[in-house]
Amino acid sequence: MLEVERLEVRYGAATALWDVSIRIAAGELVCVVGPNGAGKTTLIDAIAGLNRISAGRLAMDGRDLNHLPGHLFCDQGIAIVPEGRRLFVAMSVLENLELGSFRPAARVARQASLERVLEIFPALKTRLAAPAGTLSGGQQQMVAIARALMAKPRLLLLDEPSLGLAPSIVLEMFRVIREINESGVAVLLVEQNVAMALEIAGRAYVLEEGRIISEGSPADLMNQPHIRRAYLGESG
Amino acid sequence: MNFPSWTLLGQSLLSGIFIGSLYGLLGLGLSLSWGMLRQINLAHFALAFLGAYLTFQLTSVVGMDPLMTLALILPCFFAFGVLMQWLFSRFAISPFNSLLVTFGITVIIESLIQWLWTADYRRMDSVYADMKFKVGTLYVPIPELFTLLIAILLSLSTWALLRYTDLGRALRASAEDGQIAAAFGVNEKKLALLLSGFSAAFAGVAGLCLALSYTLSPSQIYAWIGVVFAAVMIGGLGNPIGPLVAGIVIGVAEAITMALISPAWAPLVSFSLLIIVLLTRADKI
Repeated sequence: MLEVERLEVRYGAATALWDVSIRIAAGELVCVVGPNGAGKTTLIDAIAGLNRISAGRLAMDGRDLNHLPGHLFCDQGIAIVPEGRRLFVAMSVLENLELGSFRPAARVARQASLERVLEIFPALKTRLAAPAGTLSGGQQQMVAIARALMAKPRLLLLDEPSLGLAPSIVLEMFRVIREINESGVAVLLVEQNVAMALEIAGRAYVLEEGRIISEGSPADLMNQPHIRRAYLGESG
Repeated sequence: MNFPSWTLLGQSLLSGIFIGSLYGLLGLGLSLSWGMLRQINLAHFALAFLGAYLTFQLTSVVGMDPLMTLALILPCFFAFGVLMQWLFSRFAISPFNSLLVTFGITVIIESLIQWLWTADYRRMDSVYADMKFKVGTLYVPIPELFTLLIAILLSLSTWALLRYTDLGRALRASAEDGQIAAAFGVNEKKLALLLSGFSAAFAGVAGLCLALSYTLSPSQIYAWIGVVFAAVMIGGLGNPIGPLVAGIVIGVAEAITMALISPAWAPLVSFSLLIIVLLTRADKI
């Protein structure tokens, strides 16, 4: 479904991503792990149309996205849960969700989508009128995921959904992500919480210093000594 | 200090509300472009005066009804606002530079007005000019009442549009985080053009109200800037109701000061209010 070929993203003189190629098939749950500053957010932002790409190719179902204006990426079925959530904090929770279904294709299904996300996150039911900025971190993360689901994506991009959350809420988030994936939505997950990400992923890439250095099933990756040392806290 | 009669005080209160509604009307477009586009549009005042002079010309010379002139002025001003935003976005003008550029536009429009209509004072004669009615002992002039009603109507409908429509939500989302709004399909550039067009059209409406009630001269453009800025900042940037409420508060405070103390003290009131607001809620601005 999604094809990223030899992608390169530069910020001014600095190159954030070099020669990155990844593929995601429909319904897959793919995870990209890597240390801070490896370019994970740059990669996910580029796929969501937030960053312009400098070289390489980005395609969805064979359709080239390189020259597509940023606001049309969501019409291709791509929705993002950005790093740090980036809710519209002055707007109410309901308004954030409604904005998720801004495009005409999602707007016609707004009511059904709303019922569905409230089923996934019942805790939001009583907070719909509250300004999004007044919610707790965990609830804000729920709103960010719910907002993306309102766009009725075929590919959901999740950037560090567990960042800054309490362990019990992190578990809940991963359970929800798996559930969303099982409902047929492909997921690209970027995580520093490598152990948990590998547990739910079907396939994984390792991104270091702007390049993909490894790819495979979670079991393959967990058997590589470098991965065990760098990400799974194994000494020696 | 002589305590004035109740009639004088009541009349002052009324005129304060009326002039305050014009502050609010002038502030509406300014507040929207400042709060949502991050542009400090000084040209808004010049545009309002250009609108006032055009209303004057079309009414006094061509013989149109002042209200009918809006049918010509609004589309032209809307187009001007769109064009201005297009240029701003084409040349990626920063918020601070927008202040300089729009000051330049102000000077150009002022010169244009002076060239076309001279620096002499102009006063529009229209069927509405002397219309008024009496409530008890107080006179209510129709043009000023019209300004108040238009200001309320425009502020409330802008508020409702921002609050209850997908377009309005998209505008607010864009103002908070343009990148993420775009990721959900909001075409930021198109909305900015639209907003700038509306803001300029609002200047045209304010121009009509200026022409209905005030004597015009090119240098008057600058007389309104300070107090309207105060109304916009007190009202909250990007808030469509704020400038009107703050404008009326300032207008009434000024009018009461004039009646109780002396007219010379009036500006002190509005700027004292502004300083207090800047000190106490600087975080909101």
